Amino acid sequence: MIRLMNEPTFDLNQGPATTMAANPQTSAAANVRDVTAMVASRKLYSAGFITDIEADKVAPGLSEDVIRLISAKKEEPEWLLNFRLKAYRRWLTMTEPEWAHVDYQKVDYQSISYYSQPKSMKDGPQTLADVDPKLLETYRKLGIPLREQEMLAGVQNVAVDVVFDSVSVGTTFKKKLLEAGVIFCPLSEAVKSHPELVQKYLGSVVPFADNFFAALNTAVFTEGSFVYIPKGVRCPMELSTYFRINERNTGQFERTLIIAAEGSHVSYLEGCTAPQRDENQLHAAVVELVALDDAEIKYSTVQNWYPGDENGKGGIYNFVTKRGDCRGARSKISWTQVETGSAITWKYPSCILRGDDSVGEFYSVALTNHRQQADTGTKMIHIGKRTKSTIVSKGIAAGRGQQSYRGLVRVLESAEGARNYTQCDSLLIGDQCGAHTFPYTEVRNPTATLEHEATTSKIADDQLFYCRARGIGEEEAVSMIVNGFCKDVFKELPMEFAVEAQKLLAVSLEGAVG
Amino acid sequence: MSAQPNELATYSAQFERYANALTAAERAPRSVQFSRFLASGFPDKHQEDWRYSDLSRLAEQNYEPDVTTAEVSPIALLPDADALVYINSHLQDAPSTSRWHSDTCELPPPTTGVDALNAAFASGGLRLRLDRGTRLDKPLQVLFVSRADLQASMSHQRHLIELGDQAEATVLLDFSGDGSERLATHFFDVRLGRGARLRLYRIQNEKAGGTLMTRIDAKLSRDAKFEAVTIDLGGGFIRHDLDIALAESGAETTVAGLYAQAKHSHIDNHVRVVHAAAHCTSRMNYRGLVDEKTKAVFNGKVVVQPGAQKTDSEQRIANLLLSRKAEVNAKPDLEIYADDVKCAHGATVGQLDEVALAYLRSRGIAKDTARAMLLRAFALEILDRIEWPALRARIESALHLPSELTVDFEA
Repeated sequence: MIRLMNEPTFDLNQGPATTMAANPQTSAAANVRDVTAMVASRKLYSAGFITDIEADKVAPGLSEDVIRLISAKKEEPEWLLNFRLKAYRRWLTMTEPEWAHVDYQKVDYQSISYYSQPKSMKDGPQTLADVDPKLLETYRKLGIPLREQEMLAGVQNVAVDVVFDSVSVGTTFKKKLLEAGVIFCPLSEAVKSHPELVQKYLGSVVPFADNFFAALNTAVFTEGSFVYIPKGVRCPMELSTYFRINERNTGQFERTLIIAAEGSHVSYLEGCTAPQRDENQLHAAVVELVALDDAEIKYSTVQNWYPGDENGKGGIYNFVTKRGDCRGARSKISWTQVETGSAITWKYPSCILRGDDSVGEFYSVALTNHRQQADTGTKMIHIGKRTKSTIVSKGIAAGRGQQSYRGLVRVLESAEGARNYTQCDSLLIGDQCGAHTFPYTEVRNPTATLEHEATTSKIADDQLFYCRARGIGEEEAVSMIVNGFCKDVFKELPMEFAVEAQKLLAVSLEGAVG
Repeated sequence: MSAQPNELATYSAQFERYANALTAAERAPRSVQFSRFLASGFPDKHQEDWRYSDLSRLAEQNYEPDVTTAEVSPIALLPDADALVYINSHLQDAPSTSRWHSDTCELPPPTTGVDALNAAFASGGLRLRLDRGTRLDKPLQVLFVSRADLQASMSHQRHLIELGDQAEATVLLDFSGDGSERLATHFFDVRLGRGARLRLYRIQNEKAGGTLMTRIDAKLSRDAKFEAVTIDLGGGFIRHDLDIALAESGAETTVAGLYAQAKHSHIDNHVRVVHAAAHCTSRMNYRGLVDEKTKAVFNGKVVVQPGAQKTDSEQRIANLLLSRKAEVNAKPDLEIYADDVKCAHGATVGQLDEVALAYLRSRGIAKDTARAMLLRAFALEILDRIEWPALRARIESALHLPSELTVDFEA
């Protein structure tokens, strides 16, 4: 049973004029009608509204002073400021990576404002009632159930932390989580309430100078979520963060840190949108996951940043570093991502399989339409004995989109009996797009077994014909086939996300055929 | 990475000496190449194509130009073939085939890195030109033998294989050497006319020690066929670049590669196939038996350019990793800019199947024999591509893998 009511969790497609209700009971015919209505109503990026909120924004530019200012605004302890400055100084010596198969106008790092906070929140909302109603309206438009009554109404069982530009707006379900001993709060709050945990784990998975964008993030990160699941606890609900860039000329540099202590389990969802703007905006996040003995972290992302228009004008640069550390024996980290947005995506959620018998998974659907470019994939670093990793990547290129899978599987000398299975398939829609595969394998242990398979094809004419012969319109037929192509990944998503991901895909493909 | 000025000093000194002996007209294009080389230096691991094969260690070496070495014997000439023998880049007397040699060579438009170094110092080499419709009646074995000199030496050669329309040839590039500290680079310019067919074998069986880099650039016209078999049985630092451009429709290429038996080698194969026209076919199949302290690198790349519809391409790479000290780095890339294509690639790394081994052992086959049988079976897919019995026999014997079953009943 799909837990989706009239106010769905992440219905990013729901344009203002849409009357579609994602009712699970609707028959197949009604579904087709809904999809058609939805597609018709969504000629434009529907999450692309701008919320008119007064914001407290730092003037564009980056210097040590700006970093000190951010740190002061967040009332950070000295070690954190030093951590930032260390990263900044290193960043100055680094060069922007150019190996990715993407082509874009380089970012002018001095024209970005590194801190933007909605002004009315200056004193910090104590309860959700204090939150600017306009903000809440924004999230209502996006379909995020921010308020707890929605849970009481049975709509949702997901705790959400919303990050708006640089500041976390509110975290729902605090009480319920607290009872279970789970800490789920904005990172800036965790720095104050649990400094020992933050200090211990922050930067321990993604070192401060890991790469150009990670170093930049470390220097200027402003918000993000912090999750700590204590020993033996199975998090009672799915946790979720919702990111939105609102303010013009700002970048978003959030930082997420999730720690699953021994034997714990957590499923975490992440969603993103940004308003429609002509200029490019930078999003350079860092996500760190730590799984101790027998712990499991499932991290799901539906990324729908503004992709720019048909001609490639505007859109988000999504340069993200995500890494999970399977530090304990028998731990497991699973990444699932649906990437339909952003003008440029540069993202490789990775697993360091340090603990013996630890498991890493990566399931990805990435779609590039119009002039979007994505260079995405994963890294699986096998260190522990009998470590296992699975990679399933589905890339869809349409319009003039360029789609690259870049994956690394590295087996070190110590990884006795390591296993990897990689499958990456690409689907091409139209003859102007490109699909590329760069699978790196590095093996230093003779007991390891690695398999890599990949195919590239277009939608088969006979499949399309079969659907068309049964009265299904071309666009729906393509959408159906694409959904079938992505099924291996969608089944890994939590239910609400899976439904949304399918719709998002259909909408993003709009205009790709015919 | 641009090199420090004094880093490449020995090369500059060598080049100066070399250039002084040239006429001004000869010198100019070579100076351009040499300055390109100075600007880019030797590639290091920060360059994607050299990620696993860092050459920066060469920057401080001092290689003297090589000198003519007295004739050496024995040289492994194959029966039923014409032979051209180079010892340290110097042609040995061979009246019957010297028409296939040229002392001069064409220089490419300015390139970078190792290719520029090769072009700056390049001496001539093989020049095989076949007119339209002609067929080389015997295979041509071209031997490149490197021998120790008193000091470390380097040689750089450029070769040309140009087949006219419908011409046909079989060529063996046969590299062997005593593993002395040398730097040798070879550039092969291969041009195939319409419907031409070239079978190219590249066998490398040097002892560990020197640095050998080869680049084969092949360009295929309409309906041309290029079959390459490349086998590495040893060597020190080996880098092979094989660039195949399927420039006109109907062109077809198959590349089969094997690396085995090496003990302390660094064997890097970079194979790139560009489908520039519609209706072309490419097949790439590499297998590796990676043992002892060998580091194997394989980078396959298939590029399907816009408009190259109906492309049919396949890349397969399989490795058996046989030792704890060995290492495999494989990367079969695809870059596709057309939609009506069939492109598949696969890569595996594994070890001998314990079950198969146990099966053979249970039938009284000694462990070593059983292991060798399985290794041979693994390599067979490539060995079967050698359609030259004498050559195949030579490689089989070098592999030391039994082709016939011998059963012994030791305890």
